[in-house]
Amino acid sequence: MIVSKSKLSIGSSILLSFSAVLIVVSLFYPWWEMQFFAPQYPEGLNIIVYPNKLTGQIDIVNGLNHYIGMSNFSEENFPELRYLPFVIGGLAGFTLLVGLLRKQKLLYMLIGIFSLGGILGVYDLYRWLHDFGTNLSPKAPIKVKPFVPPVLGHNKLANFNTYSILETGSYLILAAFVLMLIPLWKDRKK
Amino acid sequence: MKKWIPIATGLLAGFMTAAISFADFSNHSNTVAANSDTKSNAEKVYVPFGQKDEYYLFASGGHSGQMFIYGVPSMREIRTIPVFSPDPATGYGFDSESKKMLGGYTWGDLHHPALSETNGDYNGKFMFATDVGNSRAAVVDLKTFTTKDIIKIPNTSGPHCAAFVTQNTEYMFLPTRFATPLGQKYEPLDQYSKKYRGVMSAVTFDEKKEKLHIAYQVALPPWSYDLSDAGKKSSGDWAVMTTYNTEEATSTLEINASQADRDYIVLFNWKQLAQMVKDGKYENVGGQKMIFPEKEKGAIYLIPVAKSPHGVDVTPDGKRFIAAGKLAPTMTVFSFAKAFKAIENKDFAGERNGIPVLQYKSVMEREVNPENALGPLHTQFDDKGMAYTTMFISSEIVKWNPNTGETLDRVPVQYSPGHSVAAEGDTVAPDGKYLVALNKLSKDSYLSVGPSHPESMQLIDLSGKKMKVIQSVPANPEPHYAQMIKADKIKTINVYPKDPNNPDAVYKQKDTRIVRKGNEVHVYGIAMRSRFIFDHSAKRPDSVEVNQGDKVFFHLTNIDFDEDITHGFAINNYNLNMEVQPGQTNTIEFTADKAGTYPIYCTNFCSALHQEMTGYLLVKPK
Repeated sequence: MIVSKSKLSIGSSILLSFSAVLIVVSLFYPWWEMQFFAPQYPEGLNIIVYPNKLTGQIDIVNGLNHYIGMSNFSEENFPELRYLPFVIGGLAGFTLLVGLLRKQKLLYMLIGIFSLGGILGVYDLYRWLHDFGTNLSPKAPIKVKPFVPPVLGHNKLANFNTYSILETGSYLILAAFVLMLIPLWKDRKK
Repeated sequence: MKKWIPIATGLLAGFMTAAISFADFSNHSNTVAANSDTKSNAEKVYVPFGQKDEYYLFASGGHSGQMFIYGVPSMREIRTIPVFSPDPATGYGFDSESKKMLGGYTWGDLHHPALSETNGDYNGKFMFATDVGNSRAAVVDLKTFTTKDIIKIPNTSGPHCAAFVTQNTEYMFLPTRFATPLGQKYEPLDQYSKKYRGVMSAVTFDEKKEKLHIAYQVALPPWSYDLSDAGKKSSGDWAVMTTYNTEEATSTLEINASQADRDYIVLFNWKQLAQMVKDGKYENVGGQKMIFPEKEKGAIYLIPVAKSPHGVDVTPDGKRFIAAGKLAPTMTVFSFAKAFKAIENKDFAGERNGIPVLQYKSVMEREVNPENALGPLHTQFDDKGMAYTTMFISSEIVKWNPNTGETLDRVPVQYSPGHSVAAEGDTVAPDGKYLVALNKLSKDSYLSVGPSHPESMQLIDLSGKKMKVIQSVPANPEPHYAQMIKADKIKTINVYPKDPNNPDAVYKQKDTRIVRKGNEVHVYGIAMRSRFIFDHSAKRPDSVEVNQGDKVFFHLTNIDFDEDITHGFAINNYNLNMEVQPGQTNTIEFTADKAGTYPIYCTNFCSALHQEMTGYLLVKPK
């Protein structure tokens, strides 16, 4: 195939290597966060999601959520946290490899895998939010209608306003993705 | 065109827009003091919701045994800290630890609070206090505003002349108000001058373990020791205290202790006293290292002073000390430098009870006698070193210059101020700004509540040329002295951190359990919104069954690590209640001597389902 023979430029190679670095760095930053505000919590509570762990005031959020019968957030409940760092690390490795081999075809593959991964990630998050918001214990002292908090944006439930927002890690990944797209355009057939 | 120009221009434009839209260029520097002349009294004391007071005020609670915390300038009461008396609301004196600390006493008389110091300035870490009623000393941790240790002071009766701390909190000194025989043994009052002593205790504080310890004691003459202050800077190794009843009268002190024209100020060097103890120059009295000043000379001196003085206060620069005459309408300014020189030259006017007396004239610098100002009791200082003395009898605060003796201003207060407290007014660096007069009588100030009225605290603005009373609030009995500290010096915690070394703590539901050892029942339980879990594996995790006569221990941990979510724990009809603050573990122990069924409930409102936070204690009859 003609396409497979076309080589990426040195510039593109550097961009891809940089992209790989960003992906690795993103492992050390939170990717997603949900903030909770209520009249008696003006300072806000939050749950912060890293690729490998949860932080924030999880115990307090769980304590409050039990009133509406929501199950507990905990690291054990999310098997993703155990393998996600390896998947992301693998992606970083593959990105670096594409940068070194400088093959256009591999770049297409990389972008494909990356896009697919992104869609799966967002779907996974949505699935969990749906799961937590709709599988409420029937014995809960306060009955609320099942709900699905948005992956991004605002939601109102009882006395709480919640905001789902992207965190540094996600922005790094988006930046890494942009760095992958630049070679695609830069080394396009003139 | 260079490629970077449009990019750079765009970025610059963006930043500028952001700066104009979001940045706050307004000047937030403190406007309170600057506007003091133009603001109304109401504006000066109004702290809008969402803002906080500039100062903490720690007022002694006198014979309530407690300490009251206020915010200044709003004068809102924020908290009561139980120290020497039990407090059902917080379970103080009910849970095992505080019950043990109180040692069976059901009241105390908390007089003079003293903040811990570094280099003569408040460090905001700890508050010390003494109990005149039952001769105890206590320390309060200002991370949690809770009492951490109380010690009983043997050989001494009523440490009124306390507490005062040295400039790096090396010692807290507790001179006594009442002379008694050593060990408080029986001795006829005819033996007063021979067998009675006014013992002073030097107490050290272990900051890490939060424990008080008596380092040594001094068997001073059988006089009453009234108030005191530690030296500062050049006088940092020294301390001063006032005496009355140097007549050594044994009855009707009102008359008999007011006969001599002069009593004394005791001037002592605490470093030399410590050295004496190190050198073994002490006797063992009831387990305490007791220094007898008539035998071990060189650390303690007497200075004659106008009769029956109350306060003696060291100026912020540490160069002078000012005695307030009480019965003589005079403030006497003494010089430390002159006193040191007199000591060096052995410029003595003989001895009293084996202690050298310095010549009054060689130490005194100035007698200050504002016209018709009667009953000077206690002096505080502002940022310019000016003195503010309370006049108990003429009911006013007099501002005067210790360098010249000139009276600068006077303001009436309602009525009869004992102490006053200025913002950091007894440190090396007073703030000025505010002074609170701690008045003994309020009579007609507030809505009447019958023949007896609350005490009164009046806030005085010091920032203008003239002192101005800007607020007046009632206070429960009875603020004697107080301390006022800049709010940002105090660093509280929001929740108690987990303590993995506490064997009584349980942080996970699945670790809750009930352990029986003979007739002892230990419950390791948790409190959380909105339930108790004493044994997660039981059919009813919030019920406990014991046998009549069992000794029962409830070890309860509040696992709501959430600020202000405090739980209570009461057993209905068992006269028991305690609290567990967020993250805290507390124990309550009792003998289940009454058979029957006793509901357990959370006493501190915690959540919408607080009413449902209950359980049962079932005591099976014998």
